[in-house]
Amino acid sequence: MARLPFSNDIRTLRFLAGEMTQAELGERVGVTRQTIAAIEQGKYSPSLEVAFRIARTFGKPLEQVFGWDEEGR
Amino acid sequence: MSFREKIHWVTLVTMIAAFGWYFLAYPWGIAASPAGLWASAGMLLPVTVAIIIAMTIASAWMAIRTPAEANLKEDERDRSIHYRGTHYAYYPLVVGVWVSIFALFWNAGPAVQLNLLLAAVVLAELMRIGVQLYLYRRGWHG
Repeated sequence: MARLPFSNDIRTLRFLAGEMTQAELGERVGVTRQTIAAIEQGKYSPSLEVAFRIARTFGKPLEQVFGWDEEGR
Repeated sequence: MSFREKIHWVTLVTMIAAFGWYFLAYPWGIAASPAGLWASAGMLLPVTVAIIIAMTIASAWMAIRTPAEANLKEDERDRSIHYRGTHYAYYPLVVGVWVSIFALFWNAGPAVQLNLLLAAVVLAELMRIGVQLYLYRRGWHG
């Protein structure tokens, strides 16, 4: 399976947010726990709206949550 | 496994069992006669009822066990998976319709045509559900 060309720090940010669960994050963002897991594992690229919602949940700008991964291109 | 994925598995197993029985038990010897059409009608009735009952019971049972998941709305990944499955289901459906059109010119009886179209619909549904389950398992919408 081809890797997506970007990475994310959602796992770390969840940890720093008091071990927020994938289900809690999914509920705040408006997606299922499975979708958060897929995004975290780099298997699913979220829409811009969901990406912004995730970043806003952690109070971070988008580029601190998602990053372009040159090796993954 | 999400609620939607479980529902897809139930649908897949139910359809294979119900239509597997239909196509295996159908009296192909009388397919060319008018009686073949009535045989189809008579067999499709229990198939449809069995699918509706099995899906209703399975959905209700799973919804009772995991009410929170059952009430979740379809999200963007679910929708992407749904669209991709429907896209791939289009191909067996088109092939089935073309085969049915050619069968018309070979003087295939109405029961044969009905079964060809039915097979196309069943294959398309199996393709749709199969692709969706594959994508749910893989985690990525493709």
